[in-house]
Amino acid sequence: MESILSFFKSIRWQDLVDIVLNSYILFRFYVLFRITNIFRILVGLAVLWIFQRAAISIGLIVTSWVVQGLMAFAALIIIVVFRNEIRSVLQVKSITPLFWGAPQQTIHTPVQVISSTVVDLARKRIGALLVLPGKENISEMVQKGIYWNGTISKEMITSIFWEDNPVHDGAIIIEDDRITEVGVILPLTRREDLPTHYGTRHRAAVGLAETTDALVIVVSEERGTILVLKGSKIMPVLKKEDLELHLQEHLGLATKDTERIKKEKLEIAIAAVVSFILITGVWFSITRGVDSLVTFDIPIEYLNRNPSMEIQDASADSIKIQLVGSGTLMRSVRSDQVHVKVDLGKSVIGKNTFTITSENLSFPPGTFIKSFTPSDIDVTLDIPEKKEFPVQADWTGKLPENLRIESITLEPSSIQIIGGKELLKNISTIYTEKIPLESIRSSRTIVANLALSPASLKVATGFREKVSIECIVKEISPNNIKKE
Amino acid sequence: MFFFFKFFKINSFAFYSAVLLFPMVFSSNAWILEAAAAEKLKISTAVMCEDIQDRQPKNEGVVFSIGKGKIFCYNIFENVSEKSTITHNWYNRDNLSTKIKLNIQPPRWATYSTIQLRESDKGPWKVEITDSEDKIIKILRFSVVD
Repeated sequence: MESILSFFKSIRWQDLVDIVLNSYILFRFYVLFRITNIFRILVGLAVLWIFQRAAISIGLIVTSWVVQGLMAFAALIIIVVFRNEIRSVLQVKSITPLFWGAPQQTIHTPVQVISSTVVDLARKRIGALLVLPGKENISEMVQKGIYWNGTISKEMITSIFWEDNPVHDGAIIIEDDRITEVGVILPLTRREDLPTHYGTRHRAAVGLAETTDALVIVVSEERGTILVLKGSKIMPVLKKEDLELHLQEHLGLATKDTERIKKEKLEIAIAAVVSFILITGVWFSITRGVDSLVTFDIPIEYLNRNPSMEIQDASADSIKIQLVGSGTLMRSVRSDQVHVKVDLGKSVIGKNTFTITSENLSFPPGTFIKSFTPSDIDVTLDIPEKKEFPVQADWTGKLPENLRIESITLEPSSIQIIGGKELLKNISTIYTEKIPLESIRSSRTIVANLALSPASLKVATGFREKVSIECIVKEISPNNIKKE
Repeated sequence: MFFFFKFFKINSFAFYSAVLLFPMVFSSNAWILEAAAAEKLKISTAVMCEDIQDRQPKNEGVVFSIGKGKIFCYNIFENVSEKSTITHNWYNRDNLSTKIKLNIQPPRWATYSTIQLRESDKGPWKVEITDSEDKIIKILRFSVVD
């Protein structure tokens, strides 16, 4: 019980916001894209990902590679192939629809336009054959007609079945609010119990209706009658309202305002719950795992330094921090997300010791500090000052026995140095870098760099970090060589 | 006291002024004299060398091998007005190694100090020559090498 309580206590309000926010993002993603094919592809990608993880876990090396490649390719394909659908979702006049509301899921077939047109065709005794496919695919059953894809209108239907139109004998296929094909040849029925006045158009209508779940409307050219066929049923229609009822029933629009809305609401509610559960699961798996340990070498950031002071020396430039967290999270943690900050606001001239605590450290949420070293930092602060020092050559090596350097002249003989006031107090000479004597055989001029130590010392503007040393070299007569 | 002034016809104001000013004038004169003496102490020769032979520096230079074992700082002072002392402060890389006090006498005086070299003495050196009041007269810089 206590462990459960401590678990809930460990959850911060930021964590709840994190979960809710991401759940809503996932939920909105579903709502916006559910009417497009992208969502199905994404589901396919998710399945591929699960398959890839499974392949890795059971050691199917090549399969996992192939699936990984497929996923990368599929991600690219989604953007290229579904660019129009993505654009239609994201290209909105205001930003509100992205965050609130649901796009219209279905495009309704204009029932009234169809029924009034059909009644009008019957009155004018213009033969017509209209097919409204159900859930089954009818492409296998019919002989493909001419691709049309025009928006339904009374004028368009009338003109298609006008007797001078070359395609007027065939059927039209109506899907949603569009006539997708015209001049389609339907399979003829083999039934022999049909009335004798049924012509080829009627037989074709019966033929398709009995083999599929499509609704077929046939208008008799000779009698001006309307028949609605579905399955084995042949239903004569006398009034426009009857035809509307048949169409609404076939298209599932009869229960539109109640069941459909209910169904949509239920679907959205389920999506919301699933999004929340999914994100909560992902969140906990990412943030609560402590299976990975990563070490970072983080440079120390010094804050609030008195502008008149300078850092002359620090016992450490960086801190080694060991972070633990879930493998997924740790893989994405970069060193620039981890900071060590030391406040120099209360520091004084000279050596200041700071003890590093968790307050000095900042790191990505979901990760935890395991250890860090060093825990104490010594920082020496000083006020910069300019001071002139004599320069002295620092020779090294061995001069040949018969030679001696009688005198040297340094140019410049003194140099201005900028450094901490306290530091400069302890300096009286600036030395050159080690100058090897082995190369000296006669009088010559050597150029040597200055050895500024510590590194915080700088040569003042107007001075170079080099000096030229003019050496006067003399030979010693053998009599004057003192025995070592 | 009044009769004394009257007898010697001395103005009392002048007397007290003289009494007050006398020590000041005397002391300032002493300081001027001392400063003059210090200024007059002139170093005509200041060299580092490997040896002193017949009171003369041998193998003067600025780079000395540690193998020589010893090193000398040789000075000649001119215009020495009175007996005094000078000090040779030997520094190895700015760290005071040794202080050697030397007497000088009028009118001209040659003197030297020496140190024994050890293996750890390699590096840059300087000798600060100071007067009796620790005023730096001269700095000699040299190196001790292999």
